[in-house]
Amino acid sequence: MRAVIVEDLALLREGIVALLREHDVDVVAQAEDGEGLLRIVAGHKPDLAVVDVRLPPTFTDEGLRAAIEARRRQPGLNVLILSQYVEPVYTAELLESGEGGIGYLLKERVGEVRAFMDAVERVAAGGTALDREVVSELVRGRDRGAGGDRLAALTPREREVLELMAEGRTNAAIARHLVVTPGAVEKHVTNIFGKLDLFATDDDHRRVLAVLTFLRAA
Amino acid sequence: MDASPAQADTPTEPTAATPPEAPTPAEPFDALPLHVALSALAGLAVTIVWGASGGGFYWPMWVWLGVSIPIAVHVLIRFGLSRPTSAGHALAIHAASSGALGVLLLLLWAMTDSPTFWPVWPLLALGSSVAVHALITYADRLPGRRREAQLAERVGELTRTRRGALDVQAAELRRIERDLHDGAQARLVALSLLLGRTEERLADRPEEAELVRRARGEASAAIGELRDLARGIAPPVLADRGLAAAVEALGRRAATPVTVHASELDHRPLPVVETAAYFVVAEALTNVAKHAGAPAHVHLVEEDGRLVIEIVDEGPGGADANGGGLTGLRHRVEALDGELTVTSVAGQGTTVRAELPCGP
Repeated sequence: MRAVIVEDLALLREGIVALLREHDVDVVAQAEDGEGLLRIVAGHKPDLAVVDVRLPPTFTDEGLRAAIEARRRQPGLNVLILSQYVEPVYTAELLESGEGGIGYLLKERVGEVRAFMDAVERVAAGGTALDREVVSELVRGRDRGAGGDRLAALTPREREVLELMAEGRTNAAIARHLVVTPGAVEKHVTNIFGKLDLFATDDDHRRVLAVLTFLRAA
Repeated sequence: MDASPAQADTPTEPTAATPPEAPTPAEPFDALPLHVALSALAGLAVTIVWGASGGGFYWPMWVWLGVSIPIAVHVLIRFGLSRPTSAGHALAIHAASSGALGVLLLLLWAMTDSPTFWPVWPLLALGSSVAVHALITYADRLPGRRREAQLAERVGELTRTRRGALDVQAAELRRIERDLHDGAQARLVALSLLLGRTEERLADRPEEAELVRRARGEASAAIGELRDLARGIAPPVLADRGLAAAVEALGRRAATPVTVHASELDHRPLPVVETAAYFVVAEALTNVAKHAGAPAHVHLVEEDGRLVIEIVDEGPGGADANGGGLTGLRHRVEALDGELTVTSVAGQGTTVRAELPCGP
């Protein structure tokens, strides 16, 4: 896998680069600002761009804007956004920014090495990795919106599985996380799709999209 | 706060083409002294003629009168028709022209041998009009009024400096927030990353791995606490996207259904106003969730240079206007010369309304 990193703080950039290299990710270029992101993405055509939201010169949401622009210029670009905080507005903007894998994680998740590397691989393969904070915001929003009753019909365990699905995890990963058999997860997933009136599919990625579409519908 | 190094290092270059000292324009020729001198000469000359011709009735007084009228007109044109530059100047022009007129009247009276001192009435009128003018001009120097003027000036000054202090404070808080982000938070993330990598290498030593995992948990908790602290200072979405977007984010995050009507503002209010408005909405929505548990509507508009924020809920009403953290918010709003009102009638829901000056 070939990746580029955009992070203005050298300390963090070097740490993330070291972590990725330890896991056989080929870090082909690094940059410190939004302009840099556009330049290295155009030059290296990476499988994945790992981008910090807050970058110079404005130190606001520069990284997010640059990532969306990069995806516009290079459709299908896989982007993993790292941020000090999660903001639902930005989740929506990312999910609507077209084709390609999307990740939106809190920065400190880099410490949960295995989960973080799972997310990196998923996004690089065109999948989704949303932080659990993002997912719980989405679920909370859905709870009180239209269809909240359908969500209320889920058992606590099914709800847990739904949230893990929304994060973008596969059945195997969910089973590992909940310490249950993959068969048990499959049963939960079937129940969830039935209760939410969603069209069941075996394709992991399309399944995530179905769940996210449900959660985001106002 | 940061001294710009570029500014400090570059000595101020003398402007290349400073024009040589421009010659001061010649004073316009002042004809008034000449006019007065010539008139006096004429008067003296006819007086000498009168003396030489044997005296008697002092007829040259008519000559004096004749030459003094043009002088009075000259003085009036000279001072009276120039544009007054201040209230004091206007009063001086008024007094001077009244004085000139008074002198002429006295002269006329002296020359006509009138048995009654008739100029007393026009002089009284001229004098009282000047007196009224003076009173109006210097009213604020009267003992009582002087105090009032001083107080008004003081209020203006305090309003300006308080506003300045609040702006400085808001800017300082945002700087602290950025320092937290780039400093402590970033280091803790780096620490968490190192601990994570260490934990991975301790796969065959579960006890040590567990210790490292706990250390990482502590780092994560610290990061979370710093994040909450930074969010309490100024939520990132407010700085990034402005008030309307931040209020919409609050609405989405609230525990009860919230509709937000935020019209686009003409210009971004000062950070201190933005932050106060944001926290009014945040606090009001928290109260709605806690006490009313009902849907709420947030309205955000700019009216005549004032930012109007209204949070209306469909709850039972009857809320304590001073409870629920509203007192602190009221102080915050009032410090910006704004106003915060809470209307809560049992059975009609609760309305929190804040108005903040947001003009440029």
